[in-house]
Amino acid sequence: MNPAVHMDGITKRFPGVVANDDVDLAVERGSVHALLGENGAGKTTLMNVLYGLYEPTEGTVRLDGEPQSFDSPRDAIDAGVGMIHQHFMLVDPMTVWENVVLGNEPTTWGGLRVDREAAREAVVELSERYGFDVDPDAKIADISVGEQQRVEILKALYRGADVLIMDEPTAVLTPQEVEELYGVFDELTEQGKTIIFISHKLGEALSAADEITVLRDGVNVGTVASGDVTREELAEMMVGREVLMDPATSPQDAGDTVLEVTDLCVDDDRGVEVVSDLSFRLRGGEILGVAGVDGNGQSQLVEAITGLRDAASGDVRYRGESMVGKTRRHRIDRGMAFIPEDRQERGLVMSYDLVENGILGSQHDPPFARGGRLDWGASRGHAESVIEQYDVRPPDADAEAESLSGGNQQKFIVGREFERDPELVVATHPTRGVDIGSTEFLHDRLLELRSEGKAVLLVSSKLDEVQGLSDRLAVMHGGSFTGVVDPSTVTEEEIGLLMAGESLDDDSVEGAALHDDAGDGIDGSTAGGEEVDA
Amino acid sequence: MRNPLSPTAVLGGVIESDYLRSLLVGTVGAVVLLGVLGIAFPDSVFGDFSGIVFSTSTGASTARLAAPIVLAGLGGIFAEKSGVINIGLEGLLIISAFISVYAASVVGVGNTVLGIPALGVAFLAGIAASTFLAAVFAVVCIEFKADQIIAGLAVWLIALGLAPFMSTVFFGGVNTPNLGVSVGWHYSATLVLLATVGSWWLLNQTAFGKHLRAAGENPKALDTVGVSVSKVRYAGVLLSGVLSGVGGSALALSIGQFVGSGETMVQGKGFIAIVAYLFGNYNPIGTLGAGVLFAGLDAMQIRLQQLGYAVPDTLVQTIPYVVVIVVLALVGRTQIPEAAGEHYETED
Repeated sequence: MNPAVHMDGITKRFPGVVANDDVDLAVERGSVHALLGENGAGKTTLMNVLYGLYEPTEGTVRLDGEPQSFDSPRDAIDAGVGMIHQHFMLVDPMTVWENVVLGNEPTTWGGLRVDREAAREAVVELSERYGFDVDPDAKIADISVGEQQRVEILKALYRGADVLIMDEPTAVLTPQEVEELYGVFDELTEQGKTIIFISHKLGEALSAADEITVLRDGVNVGTVASGDVTREELAEMMVGREVLMDPATSPQDAGDTVLEVTDLCVDDDRGVEVVSDLSFRLRGGEILGVAGVDGNGQSQLVEAITGLRDAASGDVRYRGESMVGKTRRHRIDRGMAFIPEDRQERGLVMSYDLVENGILGSQHDPPFARGGRLDWGASRGHAESVIEQYDVRPPDADAEAESLSGGNQQKFIVGREFERDPELVVATHPTRGVDIGSTEFLHDRLLELRSEGKAVLLVSSKLDEVQGLSDRLAVMHGGSFTGVVDPSTVTEEEIGLLMAGESLDDDSVEGAALHDDAGDGIDGSTAGGEEVDA
Repeated sequence: MRNPLSPTAVLGGVIESDYLRSLLVGTVGAVVLLGVLGIAFPDSVFGDFSGIVFSTSTGASTARLAAPIVLAGLGGIFAEKSGVINIGLEGLLIISAFISVYAASVVGVGNTVLGIPALGVAFLAGIAASTFLAAVFAVVCIEFKADQIIAGLAVWLIALGLAPFMSTVFFGGVNTPNLGVSVGWHYSATLVLLATVGSWWLLNQTAFGKHLRAAGENPKALDTVGVSVSKVRYAGVLLSGVLSGVGGSALALSIGQFVGSGETMVQGKGFIAIVAYLFGNYNPIGTLGAGVLFAGLDAMQIRLQQLGYAVPDTLVQTIPYVVVIVVLALVGRTQIPEAAGEHYETED
C-alpha cells in the first residue's frame, strides 16, 4: 500500500539559501509522524511545500501514490491536506461554527442565506465523531487556547482533510492540554487520519509520534520509529554532536546581590494575576535560568523587572534601589540590559536601519547624543562594530531591520544590549531562531558576562539552553516557581514534572540547589509554597 | 434549537446588546415624555416642542434629512467591517448629489431614457458617480496601500471642489437651477427602510457578511481558507459607494436642486453618517435609529427657528459629535474591527 504522504527528493532553494536539500519523507496512513529539528532546520519549509505555499525547486509530492502539484494552499486543501498553524487563524468575535465553516458556508435560498442549522449540525457531528468537547455557539474569544486548537482541527476536517499538518502544536498549550491533544491524535488516527507535526522538543516527539524524522540544516538525517530510539540519540541526530552542552560553566563565586524580587505579583492585560508572590535573589556572576511552558507568567515577570509593566504589588530591587515606579530609561542608565521576547515588536524598529536601531535605548547618552543632537558618525561606528563582532549578515549598517532574517535581527539585538556593558542582562529566548553556530557564540558571550561578575536572568523555553548555562534553574508554573534546582544534577523528567506544576519529593535534587544558596539565595516561600528547610 | 428566523429571534438579533436596547428605550421614552408634557401644557414650550416633533412637516423633513445620513452610514458599515475605513462618505454624497441633478437636467424632466423616467436616470447617474469615486478610493487603498484616512480626505476634498466647479461650468453658478420637480419624502423613507433591512440581512445572514467581518477582524484567517481578502474589501468599499450614491441623490432630488456654496448642501452629513454608524455600533438598525435621531434634531431646529425661537443652528449641528464623543468615552461599547485601517498582504 502506498504511504499517505510521500515526499521524494524535495529540494527548495531560496536566493542564497538551500532550505531543503533532497529530503525524503514517507508517512503511513493512520500514523503520527514527528518532524523534529532545531529552528532553521527546514521543517517549516518542507511542510509549506506539502501545503502548497511553496513550490519545490526539485522533487515530487505524492498523496496515496498520486503525484500532486500544488499551486496554492487551496489546491492542497482540495487534495485533503490541512494545516494547523502555530498562530491560530481564527476570527475572535465570531462563533466556533462560524469559524469552522468560514469560506465554505452551506447556504440556502439560492445563496442568500447561510444555512446555520446545517453548519451547526456539521460541526456538532464532527466534534462528536472525534470526541471533541467544543460548544459550537461559543465565541472564539471566550474559549481556551486548547479549545481554539480543536476548532482549527475541526476547520481542517470540515474541509475534508485526511492529512493534518500541525506546526508546533504544543507551544501554546498547558501540560494538561498537551495530554488532551495526544488523546485527539489517537482519535484522529483511529479513524484513518494521518498527522504530521513539527516540533523541536524531544519528549513530545517520543511520546506522541509513531515515527520521527529528524532534519538538520535542511537535510533529512534519518527516520526512526519512536520505540527504537533514545532521547540522547535523537538529540545527537538533531544537533549533530553530543548534546549535553559542554559544562564550561566553571564554578564561580557569586558576588553581591544585583536583583532582588520580593513578593512580586503581576497582572496581565486582562487583569488576571499571572505572577503570584514571587521572590528570588540574583547575584553578580550568576546565571539564573527560568524554565517553563510559555504563558506561565514568564513574560509578565520579565516585563515587571524591566519596567514595561507595573507590578500589582511587591518589590523589585536592583543594585539596592527599588525599581517600583522607575522608568525604563532609569533602568537602562543603571545598567540593565534587556533582550525582549518579541524582537520585532520590542527589540527593533523594523523600518529603521541598523545605525538607528543600534542606538535605541542609548539615544540620550554620549557618545551618541551631544548637545541635543545625535552624532551619526559615532552611531554608525557603533552599529558597524556590533555587526562585525556579532557576525550580523548582511554586514550593512544601512540595511533596514526588516530586511534581515530573524536570526540576524536577534544577533544584532543581543550585540547592542551586551555592548552596553550591563550589570544585569534580562534575556528572554536569546537564541530563538538563531542558527546553531551563532547560538554557541551567544552562549559563550553570556558565560563571559557571568565570569566578568555580571548577573544574568535567562528565560528560555529551550530546556537544554537553560539547563546548560544556568547556575540555578527555576521552573515556573502558574505564576510561581514550582522548584529551584541544580541544573547539573536534575533530570529532564524532574524538570518536566516541575513544569507541569508538580513538586519533587526527592530532596537530594532540591537540596543541592537550595542548600547552596541557603540564606542568600531563595527564601523558602519562593519555591511555590514548598517547604524548604535549610 | 430556536429557529433563527422566528420573529422573536430576529428581533432578539437586532436588539442584541444592552447598549442598543438602552438607546432605543431612552429615545422612545424621551419622545413619549415630550408628548405627554405637550398635551398637558399645550401653551408652554413643551407644547411648541411636541407640536413640532409630532407634526407631519417635521416628519417629512426628518425623512429627507435622514436619507443621506442613514444611507451613507450603512455604506460606511460595509467598508469599515471589511477593514477599510471610509471617511470619504461626505465626498461620495456631494458628487452623487450634483451628478443626479445634472443628469436629470440633461435628460429633461418629463422625458425618459430607455423607458426610465428622468428622476430614475438621475438616481442611477448619482449612484454611478459615487460608486466610481469609491472605486478609485478602493484601488488607491487596497491595491496601492495608501493611508486610508488621507485617501478618504482626498475623496471629500475632490468632490467638494469638483461638484461646484462642474456646476459653474454647466450652469453658470455653484448652485444649479431648480429642476422644478422633487422626490417626495415617502420615497426617501422607503429607500432608507429597504436599505436598512437589506444591509442587515447581508451582514448577518449571508456568507458574504461573514467574509466581510472576517476580512475586518482577522484577514489572515479568511485568506488561509481560500477567500480573497482584497475582493471582499473591494466589495465592501464599492457597496459604500452605491449606498452613499442613493443617499446623495435622494438628498438633492428631494429638493430638486444642487446647492454648491460653502460646504455644499451636504453640509457634513457624510461625517454625521460616520458618527451614526459608530453610535449604532455597526448595526444597520442602530444606524437607522441614530440617523433619524440626528436628522430629527436638525429638522426640529429648523422648525424652532421658524417659530421664532433663537436656537443657534451651529450649536445644534454639533450635537451628533458631542453625543458620539460621550458615547465613545463613557459607554465605549462600539466594537471597531480589529484590522480596520490596516493593509493586508498575502504572503508567498
